[in-house]
Amino acid sequence: MADDKSIIDNETNNEVPFSGALENKASENSRRKFLGQAAATSAVIIAGSASAGNLPPDVPNWSRTLGKPVNTNPYGVPSKYEEDVVRKRVPWLTPDSIASISFTPLAEINGMISPNGLAFERDHGGVPTIDPKDHRLMIHGLVEKPLILTMEDIKRYPNVSRIHFIECPANSAMEWKGPQVGRLQFTHGMTNCCEWTGVPLKTILEEVGVKPEGKWILAEGADSAGMSRSIPMEKALDDTLVVFGQNGEALRPEQGYPLRLLTPGWEGNTSIKWLRRLEITEEPMYQREETSKYTDLISPRDPNREELIGKAYMFSWIMEAKAIVTFPCPEKPLKGHGKYIMNGLAWTGTGKIKHVDISFDGGINWHEAELNGLVLDKCWTRFSFPFEWNGEEMLIQSRATDEHGYVQPTIEQLREARGVSSIYHNNAIHTWKVNKNGEVESVQV
Amino acid sequence: MYKFNNLTKGLTVTVLALAISACSQSNNSEVSQSQEVKSDNTPKVEGKEIQMPGAIAAEYKEISVKGPFNFGQTATDEEIAGWHIEVGHGHNLPPGSGTAADGEELFDKKCASCHGSFGEGVGRNPVLAGGEGTLTDPQKPERTVGSYWPYASTLIDYTHRAMPFPSAQSLTWDETWSISAYVLYLNDIIEDEEFVFSADTYHEIKMPNEDGFVMDKRPDTHNTRCMKDCKDPASIEIKTALLGYGSGAEDVVEETAVVEGHELGQKIYDATCRLCHGTGLAGAPKVEDTVTWEHRLQQGKSKVYEHAINGYQGQYGVMPPRGGNMELSDDDVKAAVDFMVKDAEL
Repeated sequence: MADDKSIIDNETNNEVPFSGALENKASENSRRKFLGQAAATSAVIIAGSASAGNLPPDVPNWSRTLGKPVNTNPYGVPSKYEEDVVRKRVPWLTPDSIASISFTPLAEINGMISPNGLAFERDHGGVPTIDPKDHRLMIHGLVEKPLILTMEDIKRYPNVSRIHFIECPANSAMEWKGPQVGRLQFTHGMTNCCEWTGVPLKTILEEVGVKPEGKWILAEGADSAGMSRSIPMEKALDDTLVVFGQNGEALRPEQGYPLRLLTPGWEGNTSIKWLRRLEITEEPMYQREETSKYTDLISPRDPNREELIGKAYMFSWIMEAKAIVTFPCPEKPLKGHGKYIMNGLAWTGTGKIKHVDISFDGGINWHEAELNGLVLDKCWTRFSFPFEWNGEEMLIQSRATDEHGYVQPTIEQLREARGVSSIYHNNAIHTWKVNKNGEVESVQV
Repeated sequence: MYKFNNLTKGLTVTVLALAISACSQSNNSEVSQSQEVKSDNTPKVEGKEIQMPGAIAAEYKEISVKGPFNFGQTATDEEIAGWHIEVGHGHNLPPGSGTAADGEELFDKKCASCHGSFGEGVGRNPVLAGGEGTLTDPQKPERTVGSYWPYASTLIDYTHRAMPFPSAQSLTWDETWSISAYVLYLNDIIEDEEFVFSADTYHEIKMPNEDGFVMDKRPDTHNTRCMKDCKDPASIEIKTALLGYGSGAEDVVEETAVVEGHELGQKIYDATCRLCHGTGLAGAPKVEDTVTWEHRLQQGKSKVYEHAINGYQGQYGVMPPRGGNMELSDDDVKAAVDFMVKDAEL
């Protein structure tokens, strides 16, 4: 990455010293010569005034010197002052760094879209490097006409663009027994929300002609895990997409480049990345990731559910409603007394968010927050709530209600229903404790 | 279980009716009034749209063109056969056969470095055996192949599909049947180590937890949209980070960072290097393979460091840069090399 003193030479693609690059070009024409001189001059100014103030009444250095040339970074990179805004891992969470997970820095996300470089990923066998020319999607099984499609074939179908969240069902999994990871990025960061562009799976299924006995679809990835899930036909025909675009560009490799499935609102692992095969079957295939993993072994405390102790939910696809306050949060404490606007994200795999309520006292009293921006199906929804803070301790909670009336549960309600060892689908109301100094801790009440 | 298709137009759904006015005008703390309404994309009560405060409920416009498009090529039987790898419960059972006795040697060679000689799991890698009777333990249920998995087909499928971890789809079907038989033997599900496991005998195996699964029973919580005096303030007990787990992941990162020398080397080896250097995969010198390591060290330790950091294509195999884990610093990689070399020297 280029720093202040070097740029990428657009013709050679090499990183070269900033002034040197311009001086070399300067011999080519007078316009560039002018720039070169300006750059050389600016270097002197920067060197000579390193301690000068950038604040009024002083004029900042960057206002008195030329900036970097246009297209210094042909793709573009964030400001160097944002270098801490990155996905992170929790090293002890997985046995290795290949079958692992990275977390979205939710505290730093604006609006309803996670940028591609910040969108969390879960990979089960690493990120393959796939040449799209050699990538194929095979559709076979209980069909009239088995097909092999190239990426070019797939892009010829009519496509749609949809903004949907993806959430790993293990999001918040570390919190079943108690608060464990004290940052928003780690309590809730296994989610992203992007505009996905692709072909409705229904379109492709109509092309191959599904036989009447075809009720399930095995979707399989081209990664070394051969990541695979059985998807019921109803979902396939409803809103499932075969996706090649993400936030306006091609899918990122870690999001399944060149092709992935997207099952909106369902647990993220069903949106098979690096999609290579769809087999129409009569029954589910009971793959590892729908039996050994991503099933919910429960131990209900509720005596009315005693018969379910030691049983496991299978095919627990839907991500239920969840809301989380992204400001204030441990990464974003309050600084000084006065007016603030609380901010957060809510989402549900069942459809649209209908309400988000806020509590400042650990769930005794609640106030309805405003939903802001667009409220879309199976999509991150922004909410906000203005408040004034005078240094008192607060227990901030947020509670989502979906459009069907389902209300996000408390952690105790979840424990009553499922115990503490089911790993997945913890969508409990979360609590941030704001201390008198404005710092924020992750707690449970 | 959720009916996921009840979100489409024209179906009956329940919405919380007039929740905003109900809670603002009443001291009754619970908004329990719900009504059955017909839904299109906009929630309605008695024909009137419910406005969502402060937000716009938007809709997408569809492309209207319909197929058939007839793109692509017909998949031939031969093409399908090469990719049609999944094994279901009695579906697409593969050819070949194997016994636990055959599987033991293969398992030791290809699986034990991560899963342990008896399937006990090394480090945080999956435990494959044991855990019988623990599923009802509310605190520490142990989900192994034997205690948890409903069908043996999943074991066959996954072993062939994705194992050994660094070299997926490298096992023959005979090897797959053998290793699967051995894992079932470790779990006392196959008792005779000469039992020939194959498509012909598959249905003789019944997994102990086959009946342990139920379809998703969510929603299984029934919170209400209580707005006022929802609980007794005296009942609020604040629980902070669990003892022994650290207060935050960043703290854990810091803890890892202060580990030094041999211990750091071992941690990094366990997490990144063992996959290949524990098994000799991809031509990697195994930790205990002193002769090979000494040969490598003859070119100087700095050369070994350099190859480990930057990657190396050698005569016998390939070393990916930083063992494929780009999060490792130069010092991390050196510590791991030191660990492996030291073990080789012992």
